Amino acid sequence: MSNPSKDLKVRYQQDLMLWRTPLLRIGLLTLIALYILSPIIWETFPVTKFLSDVGLTMTTLNYAGVFAVGAIGLNLLTGYTGQVSLGHSVFVGAGAYFTAYAGTTWDLPFLIWLPCSLLVGFLIGFIVGPLALRLRGNYLVVVTLGLVFLGDHIFRNWKSVTGGSTGVSVTGASLKIGSIDFRNLEIFGHEFEKSQSFFWLIWGFVAIVALLVKNIVRTRPGRALQAVRDRDIAAEIIGVDLLHYKTMAFAISSSIAALAGALFGVLQSFISPIDFGLLVAIQYIAIIILGGMGTIHGSIIGAFVLGSLPRFVENISRDYDLPGVSGDEGGIGGMISISSLNHIIYGILIAAFLLLEPRGIAGIWMRVKTYFKTWPFSY
Amino acid sequence: MEQLLQGVFDGIALGSRYSLIVLGFVVIYRATGIINFAQGGFLLIGAFLTYNFSQTWGWNFYLSLFLSMIVTSIIAILIQLLLLHRSLKEITAGGFCLLIWSVSFYNGNTHLVSLIIGLIAGVFIYFLVRGLEIRFGSSQSNELPIFGSIIVTIGILFVIKQVVPSIWGFAEINMGDPWGFKIIKAGDLVFTHAKLWTIALTAIALLGFFLVNRYTKIGIAMRAAHFDHEAAFAQGISLKVVFATAFGIAGAVAALAGTVTGVGIAQLTPNMDLIVFLAFPAMILGGFDSPGGAVIGGVIVGIIQNLTKVYQPEWDLHWLGVGFDRVMVFIVMLVILMIRPYGLFGTKEVHRV
Repeated sequence: MSNPSKDLKVRYQQDLMLWRTPLLRIGLLTLIALYILSPIIWETFPVTKFLSDVGLTMTTLNYAGVFAVGAIGLNLLTGYTGQVSLGHSVFVGAGAYFTAYAGTTWDLPFLIWLPCSLLVGFLIGFIVGPLALRLRGNYLVVVTLGLVFLGDHIFRNWKSVTGGSTGVSVTGASLKIGSIDFRNLEIFGHEFEKSQSFFWLIWGFVAIVALLVKNIVRTRPGRALQAVRDRDIAAEIIGVDLLHYKTMAFAISSSIAALAGALFGVLQSFISPIDFGLLVAIQYIAIIILGGMGTIHGSIIGAFVLGSLPRFVENISRDYDLPGVSGDEGGIGGMISISSLNHIIYGILIAAFLLLEPRGIAGIWMRVKTYFKTWPFSY
Repeated sequence: MEQLLQGVFDGIALGSRYSLIVLGFVVIYRATGIINFAQGGFLLIGAFLTYNFSQTWGWNFYLSLFLSMIVTSIIAILIQLLLLHRSLKEITAGGFCLLIWSVSFYNGNTHLVSLIIGLIAGVFIYFLVRGLEIRFGSSQSNELPIFGSIIVTIGILFVIKQVVPSIWGFAEINMGDPWGFKIIKAGDLVFTHAKLWTIALTAIALLGFFLVNRYTKIGIAMRAAHFDHEAAFAQGISLKVVFATAFGIAGAVAALAGTVTGVGIAQLTPNMDLIVFLAFPAMILGGFDSPGGAVIGGVIVGIIQNLTKVYQPEWDLHWLGVGFDRVMVFIVMLVILMIRPYGLFGTKEVHRV
């Protein structure tokens, strides 16, 4: 077991360090290796056949990555600043539709439309943010819920940009950085599939966003945000500018959401208003609850679990013929259909985690870690 | 002028449904302090039960409505008792019991055998979780945060939304129409029987609720619990009974709301619970904790929505799109909240630092 005295921090800088212990540094190296090698492993080795069978394909991982980006943004707003938002899917949608429009109609290059879509998200968050200054608790929840309906209406009716209820194609948006094109990536003469190159693109952004938000929350602005979460009036009294920090939390969170939307657009290559409805907003909330509110790694774990869960359930119930579950969409031949089963598991997971472990998977991890660290003295 | 009056009348009929839905929210919020998103689920259950009684079994419509209100309120109470105020061990054990029961039943065992296997598994899981809790400690707090309870009820809504179509199917079905297309004419105004009945039934339900709330013992207990949980508890009021009653009332009004919404030709669908989200502005307008505000907010929202629908084509506002009337309600809600952050009739919360 680790030596507890190693954890003694003598200077404040040590407390702020990102990769404190050798173990964490090894973990970092492993993650980097996994990031670079995963697509190649998936292609070459038959071991991954089993993983693909239970639904863990490259595409699933890519969707999980998109959800991770959005969830980190939402965690900054909800987990760290305490401003509950049921309207996160609108910000995501704004980014996705902007990508579709800027990439296709204006034909902008990748390195220009991406920052622009971030800017669009930032501006929308900047407008919505001040609402949180006057409303709190339940009222804020319902107002952000209203945003979802407002967004849905705009997505369905601003046909020249969004294509109405049928949706719009995002395939026109270019993904070229210099000579590297993520749509048909070629390295040393080897051509990679789209799902493999998207893995590098999307999880690269997950890493960047995670680092960015981690840096926000471990420095002065982050401490101010957490003070706002814990007791906003007290925070204001000790000199935290509520208007500034609440607005900024909304703006940054929604620009990260717009990034997630942009990635979602190019990954799915076709978007419609259904992709940005209330269900998606709840999905993002579910991810941060499951992963752990107020933790960065929690959002990634949550996105990973909830992003791959639907495919997992689908493949398992297809291969093993679960009792009472029918493979048919309408639920014929069984009690419930697979998609219903998915929704039910979703609902149960959310409810169970909130009731039983409000700090999420990150909380469970923390508790087990503490148990072993203080072993044999449990408290 | 006739158009305006007609629009207002239709708006009131629409708004009375919202009033009923919002009343359910407000009653639960006042008693327990949580927003119950599962209200939409109760509404679905109520509507489909009425359909089942009146169409499938061929009973009298009003009798079916009454029965469905009672059954729905019992279901609501059960959900509250089983899910919303329980500890870790109990919920996991209960969940496993149900799971094993259903799996075993579908594998061909009889209900009795399945139940016994399920119970044994449940007891086993109970002690397992207790052991784990003692070993690793538990981070479960006694009181869920506001946000947490909201998400729990959303989880319940998800489950109900999948269970209802698995029983009654996804198709749009006719609930039968006890009022048909009968109308009463007054000048140029047209009052359909369905709308008049909707308003009348709503009025009766609301009157009943306000009498209970004002004059009965349980009503007074509910008001006391809204004021201060601990103080009410110290005075000998059973919070369990208050919470259960609140859910019961909410279930009953939701069943009524579901039925009046689902009446007519091909109106009854498993997506009907979306009306609940349109009722949120009504709740905000009235203020979360004011039953009177709920009624007025519901009617205002209904009128705004209907008048928008009537005047949008007339004032050449087509570019705002189809279904703008629903969005208009949210816009009005936003404006009012900017002026009065606690709604028109809500209590202003005092924050202690």
